[in-house]
Amino acid sequence: MNPTPPNDPPSRRDFFELTLGWLAATFATAASTVAAVKFLTPNALYEPSLRFKAGRPGDYADGSVTFLDDERVFIVRRGNAFQCLSAICTHLGCTVNRTGQGYHCPCHGTMFNNEGQVLGGPAPRPLEWFLVTLSKDNRLLVDKTERVAADKCLVV
Amino acid sequence: MNGPLPTRLWHLFGRTLVGRSVFRVGLPQSNLERSQAMVSSFLLHLQPAKVNRRALKPGTTLGLGLISLYLFLILAVTGVLLMFYYVPSTDRAYGSMKDLQFVVSAGLVVRNMHRWAAHLMVLFVVLHLCRVFFTGAYKRPREFNWLIGTALFLLTLGLSFTGYLLPWDQLAFWAITVGTNIAGYAPVIGPRLKFLLLGGNVVGQEALLRFYALHVIVLPGIAGLFIAIHLWRVRKDGGLSRPDEPADLVQQIEPGQMPANKSYGLMELARGTTPQVGRNPEDDVFSWPHLVFREALLFLAVIAVVLFLAIFWNAPLEQVANAIHPPNPAKAPWYFLGLQELVSYSAFWGGVVVPGVLVLALVLLPYLDRGRQGAGRWFARERAAANAIFAVCLVVAIVLTVIGSLFRGPNWSWQEPWKEPPAMTEEQ
Repeated sequence: MNPTPPNDPPSRRDFFELTLGWLAATFATAASTVAAVKFLTPNALYEPSLRFKAGRPGDYADGSVTFLDDERVFIVRRGNAFQCLSAICTHLGCTVNRTGQGYHCPCHGTMFNNEGQVLGGPAPRPLEWFLVTLSKDNRLLVDKTERVAADKCLVV
Repeated sequence: MNGPLPTRLWHLFGRTLVGRSVFRVGLPQSNLERSQAMVSSFLLHLQPAKVNRRALKPGTTLGLGLISLYLFLILAVTGVLLMFYYVPSTDRAYGSMKDLQFVVSAGLVVRNMHRWAAHLMVLFVVLHLCRVFFTGAYKRPREFNWLIGTALFLLTLGLSFTGYLLPWDQLAFWAITVGTNIAGYAPVIGPRLKFLLLGGNVVGQEALLRFYALHVIVLPGIAGLFIAIHLWRVRKDGGLSRPDEPADLVQQIEPGQMPANKSYGLMELARGTTPQVGRNPEDDVFSWPHLVFREALLFLAVIAVVLFLAIFWNAPLEQVANAIHPPNPAKAPWYFLGLQELVSYSAFWGGVVVPGVLVLALVLLPYLDRGRQGAGRWFARERAAANAIFAVCLVVAIVLTVIGSLFRGPNWSWQEPWKEPPAMTEEQ
């Protein structure tokens, strides 16, 4: 059945043909896989910008915690200090609700305190705080790509 | 020519020029024609000309695999019908669901059929998996078909999950938010996988379009191919598993050592094997009509049940998706509620490790459990240990699913279904 006797040592020609063939096949497969993954990864996102203006500092009352619908964040004001807290639960991405003592996730029941620390429930990490700066036209500028410590705040 | 009018008309048509060109064999009259009908028809040739009497008994398989196949066909047909109206855009998706409910003629029934058949398919695929385990039907030479079956089980779940987002209601939006975040917990590739699935950072237009493409062409295409291989292997592996089956249905022959006193078909030479001599064909009956008619009857029964469900119960449709207010509690589809119950304890262990280990166990099973005792019989005493382990896993999965479905109220807190949920405190 075999065209060549099975026990012949491979000739130099066979060796090069096999090696080159397998190399080419491996390379083609790898290149196609990389190209496919790159194709499926979007280069432009049509989502709300991760950096956004949140209005004037004076829009927020002292001691208030304000939920911004579109951005899914809380703007926290204590005296003249401004902070921005993510409303996305670190567990599975539900939107947390403000309660008297802190924050509460309705999906799996995680409780967070006012500093975003986990008091109970399955969330593995505290809620994230985002960098707040003041823009030139005197608006709060939140950058959701920059995470900061819970005690860092913008003093106006 | 006698018999009822449809039979006579059929025979009449079979003798015309056109009829002869369509049907290579008419309605079979003799045993020879019964075999020819099975072998020469495209729709029937997947099945053997003769079938073991035991395979026809309802208790052998309970018809679970066949029911799953029929549900897949119903889903394909109703799914294509839904595609004529559904628009995969966040602006119009929910509206097209409402159109199907209230405007399109029979749209409600078609959507209901699609939804109930999908639920039933998950159920029957799981039952089929249990049947194959409890009868030990995954043992040699059927190991590979068990793998294909495992892949089909996962594809069924994937099809259900991707279809779940498409109505773009609250249920859909939050189930997919939770589900893709679970994928994000996978080590190393997790965050990237989540980004690829959603086509972005949040569940939005890109995610809807991706899930739509996966749901209507990618996953059904792969599932269709795997179903074909699955059925083909059932034939090639010797039909249904039987208790008296020898280790090898075929004797190995070394190439170049053909016995001189026998003749072989080309396909037997190609496989280097020959049917075992002395195997008893006594218990076989002709597939036409015994097998074919039973299958047709079961198909009618499955359609009848799905139609019955679709006419009397409507598929749920909640309010339009709202990224700001998750429903309380936000629940995944019922077949993922056991998983969600685990995830409520720990997302990594419940969402990644436990399902990962279970899938790995399913994949490795036929290569680890290689003993041949008790194969082909329900709950064989020789397989008591394996059956017990499987039964425990099954019961745990069922209990978790029941807890997640019925015993979890607002805030995922314990809630007995026969009691009213406590009044919710108003949250900002």
